[in-house]
Amino acid sequence: MAKVLILDYEKCTGCRLCELVCSVKHEGVSNPARSRVKIVKWESEGRYVPMSCQQCESAPCQAVCPVKALSRDETLNRVLVDYDACIGCRMCIAICPFGAMSFDVLAKRIIKCDLCDGVPLCADFCEVGAIQYVDAGQQSTIKQVTAADKLSEIMQKVAQAISAV
Amino acid sequence: MNEETTAESVAKGRTYGAFRCLNCFERVSVPTGAKTHKCPHCSFEWRLSWLSPDFPRIRGPVWEANRQLAEENLSKKQKGVN
Amino acid sequence: MALNRKIAYIELTTGDIETKPIPVKVRNMFLGGRGLDMYLMYNHIKPGVDPLGSDNVAFVSAGVLGGTLASASARTHIGGKSPLTGFVGSANMGGFFAPELRWAGFDHLVIKGKAENPVYLWIQNNEIEIRDAKHIWGKTVHETQEIIREELGDRDIKILTIGPAGENLVRFANVMTGIKDAAGRSGMGALLGSKNLKAIAVRGTMDIKLERPEEALQYNKKVIEQITSAKVSQTQGKLGTPFIWGATNTQGLVRVNNFQLNQLEDADEVEAEAIDKVAVGMAGCFGCQVHCRSKYVIPEGDYAGVYDEGPEYTSQGAWAAEPGCRSLNNILVCNHLVNIYGLDTLETGSLISWVMELYEKGILTDEDTGGLDLRFGNEEAVIEMIHRIAKREGLGDILAEGPLRAAEKIGKDSIKYLVHVKGMSNLHSDERPTPGLALGIATASRGSDHLRSRPAIDLYHLPKQVLRNIYSQPVPYDGPVTSDYRDYEGKAWQVFWQETCYEAVDCLGICKFHTVFLGASLPSFEEWSKLLYYNTGLELSPLDIWTIAERAYNMERLFNIREGLTREDDWLVDRYFDEPTSVGIPGVRGKTIDRDKLKNMIDEYYEHHGWDEQGVPRLETLQRLGIENEPSHIL
Ligand SMILES: [Zn+2]
Repeated sequence: MAKVLILDYEKCTGCRLCELVCSVKHEGVSNPARSRVKIVKWESEGRYVPMSCQQCESAPCQAVCPVKALSRDETLNRVLVDYDACIGCRMCIAICPFGAMSFDVLAKRIIKCDLCDGVPLCADFCEVGAIQYVDAGQQSTIKQVTAADKLSEIMQKVAQAISAV
Repeated sequence: MNEETTAESVAKGRTYGAFRCLNCFERVSVPTGAKTHKCPHCSFEWRLSWLSPDFPRIRGPVWEANRQLAEENLSKKQKGVN
Repeated sequence: MALNRKIAYIELTTGDIETKPIPVKVRNMFLGGRGLDMYLMYNHIKPGVDPLGSDNVAFVSAGVLGGTLASASARTHIGGKSPLTGFVGSANMGGFFAPELRWAGFDHLVIKGKAENPVYLWIQNNEIEIRDAKHIWGKTVHETQEIIREELGDRDIKILTIGPAGENLVRFANVMTGIKDAAGRSGMGALLGSKNLKAIAVRGTMDIKLERPEEALQYNKKVIEQITSAKVSQTQGKLGTPFIWGATNTQGLVRVNNFQLNQLEDADEVEAEAIDKVAVGMAGCFGCQVHCRSKYVIPEGDYAGVYDEGPEYTSQGAWAAEPGCRSLNNILVCNHLVNIYGLDTLETGSLISWVMELYEKGILTDEDTGGLDLRFGNEEAVIEMIHRIAKREGLGDILAEGPLRAAEKIGKDSIKYLVHVKGMSNLHSDERPTPGLALGIATASRGSDHLRSRPAIDLYHLPKQVLRNIYSQPVPYDGPVTSDYRDYEGKAWQVFWQETCYEAVDCLGICKFHTVFLGASLPSFEEWSKLLYYNTGLELSPLDIWTIAERAYNMERLFNIREGLTREDDWLVDRYFDEPTSVGIPGVRGKTIDRDKLKNMIDEYYEHHGWDEQGVPRLETLQRLGIENEPSHIL
């Protein structure tokens, strides 16, 4: 079954190791400006949100590309860039609802997550599990379990409060 | 080639499900989840917290119990000297 | 390559800026970070300058591994002659500033002169601009960063800044980045303040080319496993540094009511687990898996709803143990206040506790305190004193001058109650039962300090064989080792070893929590040798790195000696020798440091360094390290 990258901001500690390993893996350099994944921060509130390509089934970038440089790779469940076809018009960047398409100013080309051809390093290096690479069907199961866990915790507290009264 | 690093050799000494008594420094095994535990070697009593089911740590002393033990211990020592 | 970052000389009086490459020869001598800063300090600061005068020079740097695939290579070092001690000023902070500085093309900033009006530096991809800072002068640490980001229109800009305390030349003002990362000690904030330099903003999008990226990735993965498998990292990742309290206060190794007791009894709200209850998650510095910073929102009182980070172990001491306070809220509020004012939490808390003892002993009266009831445990008075120190009001103005100047002003017997070395206050640790730790603070180059050479693992009662394994690499050692922290034997070597280890990580730019500081199985010289090779191409053996660190520490010693340091400055205050500990476990009660034994330890410590009996490096030592002709003015 195809796998997906899931991003969980509640677990993210904001360390940005994902950005570092992504740029090393793809460009051989340390430079978060050239990373495919990005931690968006609200520093004064301590909120850190990992953002990356969601490999949308019905991808707006693919739809908007005038030269059909973006295509779907079903085996790895990802959207791929054909750099020979790409003309660098950046329409894909404009339309992506997640800001996950970016422009590498040094290489002068668009860049996006390619799931490291099946072994995404960002997930591999994320010790806290804020980025995980899991079976597509598992994503909602994980969400359900986390939500249910929180809910039951709240219910227990409520029950305790009531019994205390 | 496969010579172990200093860190690897040190890591071999790790133990789980136990803590080191902060009075006598013996390793003390403790039932999972215990909130307090009395050291079987020296009788000092500790409040514990758990980082995971096999990872207890001393949070602090059971104040009154340990104060008494310390006083007794010291008065015994003084008698021994005299 | 990873080594092509430059050094920038910024002359604030004239506005001149010059940049130079850093020769590989210099890298092989000092690497970067604190090590190279020490070389620069010895070369650029003229002997005897006023630390708050325009002749003093400020140094800001990243370590040589900053921003590479070496875990937690996020440390920024700040140096200069200390406004607090008059000796080496040197402080170090985590966060995200150093890697950003390197992506912007620089490793070292040498900041000279004094701007006529408040300014800040804006550094972006090889360009440095001096900008007006009148509108942010007076703003807090947190406000300043928000305003600059807004003004320059980029939320990814990283900023180091001083707060109002640094502007007011409080001699222990710090330099900060982010919410809580602080280059805390030795008054580097006052140094920047004296130059009218409010902040440095940096943004970089330039490659740091790694020498062997594939191997660097693989090896980093292995080191991460080593770090995260250590129990200390797991504990710290959940509870932050307050976890240490569970060992130290539990035994009776912290100073309470300034220096009158050695355990804060019945204070469960101060414990790490209590702090953890109000934490809303953990945050990490750049590329770090330990994530030891708690994020918290103050739950109640005047500051309810305010977001901050920490508090660290130091704040448990500064805002609970030393002033004899027992509420969690006090720790959270005081930690927040020192963060926004830009004050060294440790020095501030320590000085306030000192005047509390003076007040209780009648040396200070209500008139002196401006009506403040400074009895131990009065939390409102402690909070008020923080405001007064930062704003230099009343007694706060006197304390803002640091321990020795304040003691001189207050007079009477006040100096008898002061706990300091070289004019710098001590952490809340009580070293009377731990001679190794006592030797560390007595000899540390920047004054009484636990981050210069503390053999903290001494507290773990590790088996002898483990200690021998650690302490006989990368230089052989066959002297005594003992597992008992109350012993004097072998501790001089441990202090020397830790001092060299900490200097090495500060040259590399790696966090001390990623080496043999709080955990015995964490990386050290062997691992750094590989990290350097894969990331930068520098081929240095573990022993080479040791020698570099030793060289850098000798530069610090030379600097201090040039500023008048003598053997007498490597010593503790009388209270350590004359007042025995009184509480805690039986093993730590009735303890003092023995003067003669400390003297012998210091002799041995000097001998390990190749220093003479006065603590001056011998010519043959300087020759062995290749620094007999300093200052050489290469950079
Ligand atoms: Zn015991």
